[in-house]
Amino acid sequence: MAMPQTNGQDPLKREDLRINFFRPRPGFMRKEVTIIWITLAAWAIMTFGMPIHLAMVHSDPARTLAEVPYIFGIPAYFWYSGQFLILWFIFLCFFFNVLIDWLNSSYRRRR
Amino acid sequence: MIESTVKYTPLLLLGCVLIVSLVVGLLTRQHDKGGYGIQVHSIGHAKIGAAIASNWMSAASFLGIAGVFFLHGYFAFAYILGWTGGYVLLLVLMGSQIRRFGKYTAPDFVEARYDSSVARVFSAVIAVVISLIYCVAQYKGIGLIFAWMFGIEYTQALIFGILVTFAFLMVADAIKASRNQQMHYLILILSFIIPLMMIAKKLGYNWLVPQFSYGSALRDLPTQVSSDYLYPWTFGTPYEWIALCFTLMVGTAGLPHVLSRFYTAPNNRDARWGVVWGLFFIGLLYWSAPAFGAFARSWMTTSGMVLDPVEALALADIIVIKTAEWVGLNEILVSVLAIGGILAAVSTITGLLVTGAGTISYDIYYRLINPNANERHLRLVAKGATLVLALLVLVIAVNPPGLIAQITAVAFALAGNTLFPVFLLGIWWDRTNKYGAIAGMLVGTVITFAPILFGHLSPTLRAVLPPTSSALIGAPLVILTMIIVSRLTPPPPEHLRRFLVEKVHSP
Repeated sequence: MAMPQTNGQDPLKREDLRINFFRPRPGFMRKEVTIIWITLAAWAIMTFGMPIHLAMVHSDPARTLAEVPYIFGIPAYFWYSGQFLILWFIFLCFFFNVLIDWLNSSYRRRR
Repeated sequence: MIESTVKYTPLLLLGCVLIVSLVVGLLTRQHDKGGYGIQVHSIGHAKIGAAIASNWMSAASFLGIAGVFFLHGYFAFAYILGWTGGYVLLLVLMGSQIRRFGKYTAPDFVEARYDSSVARVFSAVIAVVISLIYCVAQYKGIGLIFAWMFGIEYTQALIFGILVTFAFLMVADAIKASRNQQMHYLILILSFIIPLMMIAKKLGYNWLVPQFSYGSALRDLPTQVSSDYLYPWTFGTPYEWIALCFTLMVGTAGLPHVLSRFYTAPNNRDARWGVVWGLFFIGLLYWSAPAFGAFARSWMTTSGMVLDPVEALALADIIVIKTAEWVGLNEILVSVLAIGGILAAVSTITGLLVTGAGTISYDIYYRLINPNANERHLRLVAKGATLVLALLVLVIAVNPPGLIAQITAVAFALAGNTLFPVFLLGIWWDRTNKYGAIAGMLVGTVITFAPILFGHLSPTLRAVLPPTSSALIGAPLVILTMIIVSRLTPPPPEHLRRFLVEKVHSP
């Protein structure tokens, strides 16, 4: 855990040690945070979008079950929540890992 | 619902499994020390994933989910998605950074990041309470299964179950047996899915993919029952669904024993890819679990069995085993399910009790009460703490406060309200200091327990902050508290902030 003394860029300027998710440091961290934002958005919209949609559009049981699309005789949103979203989570982790691998390797090569 | 006959098949099978697992643990213990090879390919990632999944699968997954689905239909998906989607949150927001930080337990991280032994003790106490609540749920599972096996009362079964757990723990400790995580996962998942396929076959549904054919079972139910199950808001409001799902997600990301798993992989990249496999392996269980609940309802319809709500509630947590018994599955397959449930619960309990006792003896006793204690002394304290923890769990588990999944969810709410914000801000905002962390953990604890302790006084409190789902409001409130308190107090020392910049947020 050796800590390097300076960042090497501008020793005269007072060193900037700020870490903030909403104001990421230029370079590696900014790209990393971009990837995180994309994945998080895909996670939040897909997870919470469906219940919010169902709550807004379908508040009456009888009409809901009559109007929504069906797959294998069961409302599509049911499969979506019970089966598809888990697959989606796996895909998101995969997608995130591929991007982070790419980011890491491009920064390691640069050094 | 006491059944007076002792069931010998599951007993015999349980004995065999315990002996075999001890022997295997004894034979494979040398291999564990060698660690991983230098080159880990995808088969290695699958191995890490299986370890993640076996560490994760408790009575809540094995028994609880099916029970909630049996009672509440679509609402159970909040549990399933919360307990899988949480891994996305963990991987994306904190996995790599915490690993680069290099502290492997919650108290270690808190002390290193916040430079405060007070904050450390707070986080240690919280970690122990989380383990306690988690264990209560496991013990309920064990008590129910043993009651079913021996035809005895729940309380007696509970005490017997604890004795068995302890005997196993002591023997395993004495011969220093290790647990083969991959094998453990394989046993659990097979003992869950094979009986399920046979249940589907008995009921005349497609048995190859019961994960899909339970849809047909739901469709074949009487219209009213069927639409209750399929309509999303029969058993809970949209707010309740979203709050629960969110709470379980942030709880997963803040759960100490999930986080520690991130470090058993040889490096950061392998840990990340291990999560992908881990989620797939966990998914295999969660894709299947609702099928038990659906097939149980299907059998009840065809056989004309009617349960009043109280009976249904009492059966829900062993509906996995009951379904197999009802449809007339082979006795051995029913036993396999029961043993799977016990294994899932016992392995979770032993892991949590051992780490809980370690936290008490090291993080609380050694760091706070007696800094001069030697190692022998500490080990004694840890043994005593295990006993005290187990007794405490027993006292609470005698009158379980809810379904297995619900009790477990409270532990997730506590983790999501305290440790999750402390980790999140600790990593993503350098200005967070010890005052903020301590204030945040205090507020989070109050938010978690207020609805449990005072919920009966105020229906509004219980509606806004359901005990299982308090983190949708709690976690943001705690984060806000931490930001305000940190802003009002001096910033953390420069070496910490430098460490964050140069070590934690660099490739």
